[in-house]
Amino acid sequence: MKVLSKDKLETVFNRLAQESDVYVPMQRGEQSGFFSFLTYDAARDEIALDILNTYLPPKNIILPQTEKMYSFRQEGTKVNIEEVYEDSQPKIIFGIRGCDAKAVECLDMVFLTRGYEDSFYKSRRENTVIIANACYAPGPNCFCESMGIDPVNPRPADVIIRDTGNGTLVWEAASDKGKKISDQISEFLEEKDVKLPEAKQCQRQVAYDGVAEKLRDMFASPVWDKLSEPCQNCGICTYLCPTCYCFDIQVKSWGEEGYRFRCWDSCMYREYTQMAGGHNPRETGTERFRNRFLHKLEFFKERYGTSLCTGCGRCIIACPVGIDITNIVDLIKEVDAGA
Amino acid sequence: MMDIANKIKEIAKKLLESGEIDVFIAWEKGNFDYQTRPFFARTADDVEKIVFDEYSVHNLANFLLKYRDGKEKIGLVVKGCDSRGIVRLLEDSQFQRDRLYIVGVCCPGMKDPLQTMKDNSGLNKNPAADSLAAKCKSCIQPNPVIYDELLGEQQNPGIEGERFARVREIENMDAGERYQFFAGVLSQCIRCYACRQVCVACNCRTCIFDETRPQWVGRETSIEDNMMYHLVRASHMAGRCIECGECERVCPVNIPLMLINQKLVKDVSELYGPYEAGMEYIEGAKPPLSTYKENDPDDFI
Repeated sequence: MKVLSKDKLETVFNRLAQESDVYVPMQRGEQSGFFSFLTYDAARDEIALDILNTYLPPKNIILPQTEKMYSFRQEGTKVNIEEVYEDSQPKIIFGIRGCDAKAVECLDMVFLTRGYEDSFYKSRRENTVIIANACYAPGPNCFCESMGIDPVNPRPADVIIRDTGNGTLVWEAASDKGKKISDQISEFLEEKDVKLPEAKQCQRQVAYDGVAEKLRDMFASPVWDKLSEPCQNCGICTYLCPTCYCFDIQVKSWGEEGYRFRCWDSCMYREYTQMAGGHNPRETGTERFRNRFLHKLEFFKERYGTSLCTGCGRCIIACPVGIDITNIVDLIKEVDAGA
Repeated sequence: MMDIANKIKEIAKKLLESGEIDVFIAWEKGNFDYQTRPFFARTADDVEKIVFDEYSVHNLANFLLKYRDGKEKIGLVVKGCDSRGIVRLLEDSQFQRDRLYIVGVCCPGMKDPLQTMKDNSGLNKNPAADSLAAKCKSCIQPNPVIYDELLGEQQNPGIEGERFARVREIENMDAGERYQFFAGVLSQCIRCYACRQVCVACNCRTCIFDETRPQWVGRETSIEDNMMYHLVRASHMAGRCIECGECERVCPVNIPLMLINQKLVKDVSELYGPYEAGMEYIEGAKPPLSTYKENDPDDFI
């Protein structure tokens, strides 16, 4: 087995950072998240490969919350595109967990398949290397296994790292991109036999089988009134979700010039479905709440064959009123679909 | 607290069975001992699930906004700060007093289930000790100011230290330092609008930030747009914030929002007061910035 000693990590990050923007899990103040190693400040940040997962999901690395698309200038009756901001800077996400890796796959499905390729996403994604961190001890809100994920074999991944718990990481190249990265840091990798920890099962299990199918008949169910009652329709769940990808495209302009940008949007917001004529198909909080869960559990599965929830548990942890998607799945299983 | 919980259940059951109310808003237990969450009881059976414990931190008055256009009569439990939220809604003509049955509880201070969820999640490298919610450490009004029934013994305010000490620290910075400070904390904002959604004073039917024609505030998470969002929201809170601290408690990126609100509490009181928002309900009374007097100070404009 190829093994990397954890005390060489900073040196490795420095080496990789010569060619790529390396995103590393860090505890920064009260939040953990994937932050660029270029912004690492030992006085403020702690590298946190050993925590269960980051509180802020890594999705902003390949789908930034705000992204400039192009700038323009008007000349007479003509509009000239001045600059297109496609991002082809090589990036490495170091230490992403299986739930978040699967989330990247979901984003890929949305932005790269079904006859439409988003060039902004594609450029970023093609230049991103995923180093996934196998997860041997899921936390109290994890249920990735129930969503079809094997946390010790994260996919998609270019490299899989496995924390032995004894100051070393097992290093497995899993793609050509991964092999290239391994070559770059080969001097830090040693050949060694090490013992891997025993994989623990998720404490939480949720019976998702059949839920997508059942939900087809539950659009008009009164169950949504009850489930959504505590929801205050903030966007925390959608913005901390590693898969929620909804966005808006807006423009800022002054005088003859301006730029167009893309920014995250949330189905929790009324403005999200506000139509130009004044009608809003999801006027009430209940309708917006229902949409979020139908999208996660039914619509995405119908279109792409997999659920849009990867079981990371962030929405459960951060919801101010304790809404828990696993309780919702359980309840959907229980209720009479027609009722 | 068991006693109080039992009394709450008794009251809720009586009110629901007699048909005096349609829904009773309290708390239930979630999946963990430390997870207490808002709960809406409609039947005597539902009432069995009601709890009131050391984690009943949420300001339930905010949920009244969900029912403001209906006719349902609503029972709910409020602590001191939450009861000021009810006054906020009544003064703002967002709810009718006779649609409410208010069960006031004198509050000894609460722990924050949200913080405890985060601390036990495994997603925080340096979890805090399970202690009193930060907002309860600046509490000035633990005892309900409006109620139909009052439970528990009168409590002393939980405030620790001098009330506006942190505000003064910021006031004493020079403009450059102050900008740096706010640019630092507001650059974290992810624009989830949770601060607005949990706020009883944010009761506009269409929020300025949701307007699109014109769009008053840009949607980029740039420091400019983030500042515009927070400063406009803060100025709408002037003289109206009842200091329940929910905005800061639910903020997923720990922006010290109460620092901004407290600055306005202090300024409004100094300029127009002494004034504390929502301390008593007098029919027709309005906060200072919702009325006009010829001798109002205006030299700061």
